[in-house]
Amino acid sequence: MSWYGPVRTATGGLMRHKVQAVVIGMVLLVSTASATLGLALLAAGNAPFTHAFAAQHGADLAVTVNPARATATQLAGVRDLRGVTAAAGPFAEATVQVQYQGQPWGQFTMAGRASAGGPVDDAVLSSGHWPDAPGQVVLDEASQDFGGLQVGNRLTITGLPRATSLTVVGIANSVTDTADGWVVPGEIAALQGPGTPPSAQLLYRFTSAGTSAQLGADLAEVTGALPAGTVTGHYPWLSAESQNTSNGAIMEPFVVAFALIGLVMAVLIVANVVSGAVVAGYYRIGVLKSIGLTPAQVVVAYLSRVGLPALAGCVAGVVAGNVLAIPVLSKSAEAYGVGHQGVPWWASVLAPAGLLALTVLAAFGPALRAGRLSATQAIAAGRAPAAGRGYAVHRLAARLRLPRPIGLGLAAPFARPARTAVSLAAIAFGATALIFAFGLRSSLDQASAAQSQSATVPVEIQPNGPGTAAGPGQWPDAAQDAAVTAALRAQPGTAHQTTVYEDGVKLPGLPGSVNAWAFGGSASWLGYGVIAGHWSDATGQVDVNTSFLTASGLSVGDTATVDTGTAQVTVHIAGEVFYPDSTPTVFGSTQTLPGLATPGNLQQWDVALRPGTTTAGYVQAVNHALGGSSPWAATTQKDGGQFYSIAIGLIGTLSLMVGIAAGLGVLNTVLMTTRDRVHDLGIYKALGMRPGQVLTMVVCWIAVPAVIAGAIAAPAAVALNTATVRAMAATAHTGVPASFTQVFPPSRLALLALAALVLAAAGALAPAIWAARARPVVALRTE
Amino acid sequence: MIERSVIDHGAPGDVIQLDGVTKTYQGGGPPALADVSMGVAAGEVVAVMGPSGSGKSTLLNLIAGLDRPTSGAVTVAGRRIDTLSESALARFRARHVGIIFQFFNLLDDLTVEDNVLLPAQLAGASRRQARSRAGELLARMGLESFRDKYPARMSGGQRQRVAIARALVNSPAVLLADEPTGALDTATGQEIGALLRELNEGGQTLVLVTHDPGLAERYAARTVRLVDGRLAGAGVGALR
Repeated sequence: MSWYGPVRTATGGLMRHKVQAVVIGMVLLVSTASATLGLALLAAGNAPFTHAFAAQHGADLAVTVNPARATATQLAGVRDLRGVTAAAGPFAEATVQVQYQGQPWGQFTMAGRASAGGPVDDAVLSSGHWPDAPGQVVLDEASQDFGGLQVGNRLTITGLPRATSLTVVGIANSVTDTADGWVVPGEIAALQGPGTPPSAQLLYRFTSAGTSAQLGADLAEVTGALPAGTVTGHYPWLSAESQNTSNGAIMEPFVVAFALIGLVMAVLIVANVVSGAVVAGYYRIGVLKSIGLTPAQVVVAYLSRVGLPALAGCVAGVVAGNVLAIPVLSKSAEAYGVGHQGVPWWASVLAPAGLLALTVLAAFGPALRAGRLSATQAIAAGRAPAAGRGYAVHRLAARLRLPRPIGLGLAAPFARPARTAVSLAAIAFGATALIFAFGLRSSLDQASAAQSQSATVPVEIQPNGPGTAAGPGQWPDAAQDAAVTAALRAQPGTAHQTTVYEDGVKLPGLPGSVNAWAFGGSASWLGYGVIAGHWSDATGQVDVNTSFLTASGLSVGDTATVDTGTAQVTVHIAGEVFYPDSTPTVFGSTQTLPGLATPGNLQQWDVALRPGTTTAGYVQAVNHALGGSSPWAATTQKDGGQFYSIAIGLIGTLSLMVGIAAGLGVLNTVLMTTRDRVHDLGIYKALGMRPGQVLTMVVCWIAVPAVIAGAIAAPAAVALNTATVRAMAATAHTGVPASFTQVFPPSRLALLALAALVLAAAGALAPAIWAARARPVVALRTE
Repeated sequence: MIERSVIDHGAPGDVIQLDGVTKTYQGGGPPALADVSMGVAAGEVVAVMGPSGSGKSTLLNLIAGLDRPTSGAVTVAGRRIDTLSESALARFRARHVGIIFQFFNLLDDLTVEDNVLLPAQLAGASRRQARSRAGELLARMGLESFRDKYPARMSGGQRQRVAIARALVNSPAVLLADEPTGALDTATGQEIGALLRELNEGGQTLVLVTHDPGLAERYAARTVRLVDGRLAGAGVGALR
């Protein structure tokens, strides 16, 4: 017999077992898609900023200049300086005060650029289009994140002689955050405030710009090539990297966790399906051997039999993986703060090749064994599970006072312990991923609430009001500050309010500056998450963030000497609070930290509302009371939420994918068991088992593995959640309050553990329905 | 001795009645059964004979409610079963029909007792009642000492006796046997034949599909012959 014969035989077998071929194809499809996506996510998490910086030609240095101080020729000349590899600009820019829906929305730097691309700093559009007419603006993702602005929103620019508005026509990402928004170049003149000097940005890439020192030298060269006073500011890429990498790094632990779960599940399911498919073919192998197939031909025949649908599944899977990756990587790119992430070519090769190799490997053992078996042994092995397995469990189940179909169903998995173990593992991984996703979401919700204080501090008063301060570049004066306090006290909806001052302080012996926040009033209601100790409740006590303790080597309960610039005070560290920042930070009252309560240090007022007071109504009332000339304005809390919502969206997508893969794994196991036991099903039906009872029995086949999987998944998910949250927190330079990881009270955990049963039941349902519907006479004839 | 006609349309009160039953399988070809009408009276033993592919097993499957006719009516124990839903049909099978298969069709992972108990448990019989009935049947079949054994370790004759006990556990109106001695040696086959005869003497209606003219002659009151899915003739067995 030629080699063509075995392959043709295999194809014949394939056509006779279309369902199994479809299952192998489907499993490989989902597994390859998951693996492609998993690898793409792992790649996306690997130095995302570096990759995006290269792809988007990020600016090593964004230099702000006053174009009035240099001629056009001089500005153009700095493009050709030694060491400059690419340059763009000058792009005129203007800093404007933005209002949205009547509410102050902060200060935005707008740059005039005719197109998104260029030799330096490609802005990657994630939605909408680049401005092509005055009155349009594209916002940088970073600034859009700040307030949740979207395409179509209409922004009002205040402080200009005539009313100006801009419509958001797109959202883009500049990897080096060179501007908050972009308009057509001709628009900048209209956005320039009266008396404000003109400004423009020059964007550079240099031969050497890897370190602060090299960037300093590059800046000196640019500055030196222009008339004195032309350069008014600069923004090095290292600052942008520091900002973006901290966000990206926080995402990495859970993205990696999901990617690994997905990969392990793909491997398990494929191994289970493929080895099961070959074992299921033993009967046919026996028949083929009896008519003269050699052992080697048997191996080839059965490798082809699983190989062909597996190959089709792998090809479809890599396509599906790339398609699925578009929305997932778009979210991932948003989370990492980069413009675009794609599936690397090696992921599209490695995932299908690896899974195909795994398929062949998984099939090779059983196929080799089949090749060595005698014809009669193969026929016997293919007919039923090995005799004797699971009998004792059946006996026990028969003695239990359970409806008989349930007892039969519960005992069935013990006939195929290896297959049951793999199914159990697949369910356990799937359920772990789902419980973990739920827990991580709860943990991130808590972190988001604690970081943004949106629940405890719904309103802030910030210095972005319609009026001007005491003078250009000046802070509001004491009278303007007093007016805010008076307005807040006058509002019946005010529950608590406090002034918040910020300044740098020194800790003797600690190099660098320490950030200090001082509160003018009681601040216990602000809702900082306490990691250890307690919130300060007396003068002389402070709370600190984790970075403070790490940098100083001090612990909660220790004392420290703080130099505020006007006084040296000894403070007692009452507690460690959740404040993710790499800068050591200390929190205390203005009495504890004397000298900080100056008008220049006043950052904002934090306000809590009485029950029944609406945030919007309160903000409107306060702004009305402050009038149109105050530099202060009330605003609703909107900081900090976007990062978390992206993370939560990504968690949802990933857990859904893992859940689907686990369900498919179960479906396959139940399908294989159904095919194994189809003759027994015929007997049950002949003896009077009703379709409903068959359905119950088949679903119960997977119940015991599901219960065990749930029992494993629940503590595994708790441990994984705790480890992941801690890893995320560590990258954000903070510890976490215990409440962030204690998101699984026993009752909730027990309920979540049912996810394993739900997954198993969902996967088992289709084959169970098939078994219930099968006509007894057909089932009896099928062996 | 009353010999029923070859084209037997049955009689009122028959426990089994088939009226113009045709069965065609998917994929075309000639019908497995063509316009068959016949009846079986309560307490009667009817042997169905015919060459391979003549439609004997199809006839038995239709009477058992394991399959549905393409056309015609099948009435068993006073109920028209070809119009029943799958659930109702399963319930009907459990309560009114006992089936004995050529290759026993015992469940290898259940003990002898659990095999016998199963139809009673599926029919919703009380645990005590079912165990008592199973014990009684196993004693009658001489299998008391085998109740905790597994079928795979028993001889063919013993297995077939377990299958008979299982078929009788719900005291069915009709006992259907498909080549009950086909997988047994001659002596054991005779032993099983005698057992079936004994059951009939107790009033059990029995339809016996067999290739073995001797079995039909010795144990059936009436023989129905099928050729190419059509009733071809009838004979009288020793029981009459």
